[in-house]
This record gives sequence, C-alpha cells and structure tokens, in this order.
Amino acid sequence: MLTASQLAHLRGAVGDDALITAKTQLQTYECDGLTNLRVVPDAVVLPRTATQVQEVVRMCARDRVPFVSRGAGTGLSGGALPAAGGIVISLARMNRILSVDIPNRQVVVEPGVINAHVTQLVAPYGYFYAPDPSSQSVCTIGGNVAENSGGAHCLKYGFTTTHVLALDVVLPSGELVQLGSPAPDAPGYDLPGVFVGSEGTLGVATKITLRIVKRPEVVQTLLAAFDSIQAAGQTVSDIIAARMLPAAMEIMDALAIEAAEAAVHAHYPTCNGLLLVELDGPRSEVNALMRAVQDLCRRNGAWEIRVAQSEHERALVWKGRKAAFAAVGRISPNYIVQDGVIPRTALPHLLEEIDQLSSKAGLRVANVFHAGDGNLHPLVLYDQSVSGQEEKALELSYRILRLCVDHGGSITGEHGVGKEKQEAMGYMFAEPDLATMQLVRCAFDPANIANPDKVFPRPRLCAEKPGPYTPHPLETAGIAEIF
Amino acid sequence: MGTSAPLTVEQGVARLASIAGPAYVAVRDDASQTVVVAPADAPQIADVLRFANANGLTVMPSGGGTKPGWGNAGAPDIELKLNRLCEIREHAWQDMTCTVEAGCTWAAMQNQLRGHGQMVALDPLWPGRATVGGIVATNDSGAFRLKYGSLRDLIIGMTMVLADGTIARSGGKVVKNVAGYDIHKLMTGSFGTLGVITEVNFRLHPIEEHGRTWTASARGDSSCAEQFREPLRALMDSQIVLSCVQMRVSGRECSMDVRVAGLPECFDEYAARIKDVFSKFDLRESTEGAWAARQELFERKDALILKLSVLPDEICPLSAELRQWRSESTEISIVAQATGLMMVSMTSAPETAVALLNHLRERLGPSGSSAVVLCVPDQLRGKIDVWGPDAGTLPLMREIKRQFDPNRILNPGRFVGNI
Repeated sequence: MLTASQLAHLRGAVGDDALITAKTQLQTYECDGLTNLRVVPDAVVLPRTATQVQEVVRMCARDRVPFVSRGAGTGLSGGALPAAGGIVISLARMNRILSVDIPNRQVVVEPGVINAHVTQLVAPYGYFYAPDPSSQSVCTIGGNVAENSGGAHCLKYGFTTTHVLALDVVLPSGELVQLGSPAPDAPGYDLPGVFVGSEGTLGVATKITLRIVKRPEVVQTLLAAFDSIQAAGQTVSDIIAARMLPAAMEIMDALAIEAAEAAVHAHYPTCNGLLLVELDGPRSEVNALMRAVQDLCRRNGAWEIRVAQSEHERALVWKGRKAAFAAVGRISPNYIVQDGVIPRTALPHLLEEIDQLSSKAGLRVANVFHAGDGNLHPLVLYDQSVSGQEEKALELSYRILRLCVDHGGSITGEHGVGKEKQEAMGYMFAEPDLATMQLVRCAFDPANIANPDKVFPRPRLCAEKPGPYTPHPLETAGIAEIF
Repeated sequence: MGTSAPLTVEQGVARLASIAGPAYVAVRDDASQTVVVAPADAPQIADVLRFANANGLTVMPSGGGTKPGWGNAGAPDIELKLNRLCEIREHAWQDMTCTVEAGCTWAAMQNQLRGHGQMVALDPLWPGRATVGGIVATNDSGAFRLKYGSLRDLIIGMTMVLADGTIARSGGKVVKNVAGYDIHKLMTGSFGTLGVITEVNFRLHPIEEHGRTWTASARGDSSCAEQFREPLRALMDSQIVLSCVQMRVSGRECSMDVRVAGLPECFDEYAARIKDVFSKFDLRESTEGAWAARQELFERKDALILKLSVLPDEICPLSAELRQWRSESTEISIVAQATGLMMVSMTSAPETAVALLNHLRERLGPSGSSAVVLCVPDQLRGKIDVWGPDAGTLPLMREIKRQFDPNRILNPGRFVGNI
C-alpha cells in the first residue's frame, strides 16, 4: 500500500486532477486487452509532461515502488497489467504531436498519440505511418513502442522498431535521456533497438521520433477463395518464390470468415481458405504484378478472385480482416487469441497439427494469419460457463505455441510476452539466452521496478545467478519481493 | 601479452593451443606480442574467453581485418580470429532466411544466396574480404540502405559468446518475432565490446535482377552541391521506387546517382520521371561502377576519413559547406547517401583537418547529428577524438558494458567514451 506521504508526493508531482486513488476508478486500469488477468493498482497518475513522469518515477525509485506505464490498454498479453501495490503511469494525456518534418520524413510525438492520428496528420502531404496494428484507431504510439507492434503491412514496411528513430526515455532511476537520434547511426550502442519492444521494463518513453513513409501511388487489394487453407498457403509461397514483396498477405479460414461476416458483413466468399493480397507502388508495376498474382491464385485452384474496385471496397475487405478477433465473439462466448510465428513453409504441417489438437480437445480453432511473414493468430473458442473448458482452451493455446517453437518459430510475432507468455519464454529460449537479456534489464533497472514480473519466466533479481532458488539479499531485507 | 597478466606468453600460447589446436595459435612478430588464436567453433571461443576472463587478458575479435583503424586503437593480449567459422549453416530459401557463421566473407555468403536469386540486402565495404561478423560489429551499410534499411532491419537473430564464456542466442529464424529483448540489435555496431558474434540470422530479399542507374551532373563553384537539394527533395517525394541515391562531390564536380530496380517494362516510365526531376541537369545513364565511389574514398591512405550522420535533407547544404574548405593544399571528396550518412575524405595539413573536425562537431552537435572518424592519417594518430562528444547516454552504455563484460576484456577502450 502506498503511504499517505507517497500519495501526497504523487499529488504534488502531477496535480490533484491527475491522480486516481478511488477504488471504483482504479478498476478501469485493472487489466488491458488480456482481461482474464486483473490487478487493481494502488494509484494511477496521468502526467502531462516528461518532468512529471520523472517526478513520479524518482519517487518509485527512491521507495522501490513498482510502476507500469500504460497507453490505451489495448495490449493482448497483459503488458499493462498493474503490479500489485504499484502505480500505473497512464500516458493518455501526453498526446501532442510536437513536430512534422516532411523533407526529412519525420514526426515527433508524445507517447499518448493514437497510431492512426499520425497517418491522418501526414496524409495531406502524401505520407503515412506504416505500422498498423488492428487496434490502430485507438492504440497509442507509446504502447506500440513498448510492444514493437506490427500489423498487416509489416511484411513490406517493417515493425515499430523500423520506424522509431529516437526516444526520450525516463529511466527507472528517474533520469531523462535521449536514446538514438533523428539522424541515422548515433554513435554508441543501439539503445532504441533494445528499448523498442521491451514491454515497459526498461523505462517510460516520453517523446518519440517516428519515420514516415511516402504513400504509394496505387494500392490494389485482391481476395481469392480456395477450397483449403493449404492451397491459399501454397499461393503465398509461390508469390514469394516469384520474387514479389506484397504490402500484405493474409489468410482466414472458414470459421474466421464466418465470424467476420457476422460482425461487419465484409461480403467475403464462403470458402475454406480466403487469401487477401495487397500490392502497392507505381501504377504500372502494381498492374503487372497483380496479373501475376492472379495467375498464381488460379494455378492453385482459386475459384473466385476479386480485386477491390474502389477505396470503399478495399476498406471493407480490411474491415472484415481487422475485426476478425472481436468478431469471433459473435460465434463463441469466449475465446483466446494466440500469436505464434512459424517459418512460412511449415504452415501446412502446423495446420494439420492444430486440427488434430483441436479435435482432441473438442474445441474449435479459428485461424487468421499474416501469411507473408508466418505470423498466426489461432483463436481458440470455448465457453467459460462449461466447467473445465477454460483450462482446456488455455492448454490447447499453449500447445499451439509450443508447436510454433518446435517448427523453429516464435511464441509471439506482435502481441508481446507480457504476463501471458512469460512461462513460454522458457520453452523458446535457453537459460543462458534469458540470463543475457537479464543483463540488459539490470543495466536499465537494477531495482526491478519497471513493469516487474513480466516478459521473463521467473522473477529474477539483478546480480542473482541462475541455479537453485536462493533468496536475494534485497528480498531477505524486505526491500524487494518475489511476486 | 600485456604486463598486467601474471601469465607468460608461453603459458598463454600453451593454454590457447590446448583449446584451438597448436596449428591455430601464433604470436605476432612485433612488439605487441599479441597471441593470435583461431578457434574452430563457439564452444572453443567460449573456452578462450573463459581463459582470458579468468586471467584478465584483453581480447580483440577479428574478421577480415579490413577496418583496423575504426574506433579507438587498442593493444589486445589476444586476437581472436573468426576465420574458421566460415560456413553458411542454413539457407531456407523458401522462407527467405539464412544463418551464417561470423567468419564467412560477405561475398562468399552472397554468392551462395544468389543461387536462389536472393541476397542480404546490404552493400558493405570490401565485401570480398570483410566478414559477416566484422560488418555487423561495425554496423557498416551502403547505398542499399535507403530501400532495405540497415543491419538492424535485416538481422533476425544471432548467436554470441559473452566474456564469461556464456553462449547465448537472441531473436530467432523468423522475420516477425517480438519475444524478449533484441540483444542482436545491441550487438550490432557494438565493436566487439559486449560479446563475440559467432552466427547471424538474416532475412533475405530477392536480388534486383533488373536495375538501372542514372547520373545527374553539375560543375562549378561550391554551391553546386546545394543545387541538388531541390531535385533530391523532389526525388524522395516522388512515386519512384528508389533502390539507391547518392551524391558524389569531388574536385569541381558534383553528381547525383539514382538507381531504380523493378520490372523491365516499367523502366521507360521511371526514366521519364527521373528526367523530369533532373530537367535542369546533365543526365545520363551510367554503370553500376558509380556505386563503388564510397569504397574508393578509402584508397587514399593519407586521408582523414569521416562518417557524418545528418538529417537526410542536410546532405546537400552540408556538402556545399564542406567544399568551401577546399584549397591548393586541401582536397575534399564526399559520398553522401540520401539516408543522411556521408563519407568524407580529406587530405590536408594536420591542423586543417583538426580544425574542420572541430568545426563540424560544433555545427552538428546541437541537431543530434555526429561526426565519427574512421581512418586517421599517421601524423594525426592519437591527436583526435575518434568518436566525438557524448550525447548523454554514456553512463547507461557504460553500465551495459559492465553487465556484459565486468572485467573489461573485450576490446576495452575501443568504443564510444572509451568503453
């Protein structure tokens, strides 16, 4: 529990209107998009400036109070789940766009700026901000930085880390530093490279310099219906083998199509494997490549091919795809969204294995993939009201992740590890790999107060050697706690 | 062997020979008495580092030896050669990824990938001799960076050996992966101060089968570089998919090279668009040889070579400004990438070189830009600061170094702030 003097300190730091301590209001912050895990924080602060963030973090550092920073709370792995007895630093009020520099193709924003607003701002100049997670109309750049968010178009354009040039960061000590620079290759270690995607465990970003990208001359989106996901997957492989790099390639299975149709009426063809391919670039090139893509679709048995004829049609195609997760709620009372990655060529084999696991568990699995980069989002459907089904669903979802690792892939392509997958990290990485990551953690946050007990499989304190469990000196002294 | 070590050179040689085999250990025939060892694999590297760490011996990992002057000079007790780790471990061409050992030369790697029409989309210096590990450790990049990004965008995983002998992996073999910290990004460009890179996993791109280069030229006074600013802006703001754009400044000539790759049937259209952008310049189609300009800057052994990092829109005005330093005794050549990275070669009296470097750092400092010295002529060795002023993150970087290499055995002093 925070003490009265700590609360007074926070009030002094951010002002009365930016401190939340009432239980009912605190409950708003008890979880993020991973709603089955909830912790009510002791306090929430809503700073408006980096200096205010520093004031809060300095107190946390002095008193060893854990803090968790939070954007819009749309994360799906529990990255913004509060720490017990800790503070949530909501960056929602730091939402100014500070500068736009078209000749250098850069935008400087505060962390609370909504992803889609960056594109809206630079669209009149003919530019866009490329990372486009499905939640882009509500999620914040700060959250994207924490999770290294991707989206459907990262096959061609890269991830958040590709587009972050520099950051102002309040370190867990309370010190404010600039990592990276607006110019390339700042001398020194690639600190933005390690900070982006660190899930709030290395500090709080308070200002972010983003790279923006020229909007392509034309964008064409194609839908192709196949009798099997395998045929759709083979088409993806053939497109890559033909040396094309589409802006996006997505596959949905029958269950995902059914859900998307129920939710947003995207007018998808009813089929077992739906492939969405988006090409962008100069008109003449896109036209030529689109013909080649259509040939490959036909060769793999596509029985219906549609190219969106207007921006409205294109938007509808994407609306269905981006709504797919939430749409599953229309066909199942509960579901778990998974986020595994496999080498693309392992897709047919993995799908068979998922089918087998799904039949064995007696649970349905809907599949949505960023097929170009092997990122799968299996949605495990279940009914919480049926005793034991949630446990079964969790087990199935975890086994799918293990399959991804067995095929040489990863436990997360874009949702992050957070609280949800910290145990799976131990399946993907060996102890020396995790110990090496911990060295970075200890350099940034020796007291382990920034989003503690996330990402890594077992809470480990700095200077602790791997091996049989022994209490850390800080723990025995009552200064730190193993949660 | 350094005087700080209680071991004799003979004892060190014997121990290293027992790890790597006697044929792979030698003592350098100079005053340094550095012991050169070439381990066969990561476990042997781990053994060498454990030995060095336990005995306080400093270690310099080395590849093709193409960039000995980059970073601060050092006098290692042990030079750890990676040349025996030279295999391409895996080329999953359908997944467009590969795993390559650090001692493999860049050209050998690319030759093999080309068999399936693929490449690691980076054009570093001296690809025939420079190794994957050395290129990654120094974060080299060339003109392709405009289209494909730098090494941090192309590396998807890495295996490394830390100072205490820990063999660790980071990332993986898939392009999309956000599990854990990207230690491979921290290692990239760390000049061997955090660990020894033994294997690198890359994402691959199709080779550019059909590419054409156009060169626009201007002659005249110092402002000719400035004249390219507007066309460069127009080019970057256009719908032309550019592979590479660089500006070359040498003597009285300035030119801008533009490479475009794509479908052959689209080239006429691209050519028309480029002609439109450079309507006020002499524009002709040129050969791929234009892209060797950056490497050619290094041919003058008496030159001071700088890597300037500026905002992309600054390369033309800064090049114009640099040209004003030309005189009868001072020659300046520049190859500037549209990404904002500029290589500057300068031959002059030592005091002029020092004055220019100081002027540049003063001018660039406030904007977050930087000037790093890559090659120092003999008469300036030890007299100039290679890395330049600290931007405020030095304590954090030192702490990272301390965590990874508490005994400072890996390339001590070579990096920023004498890390």
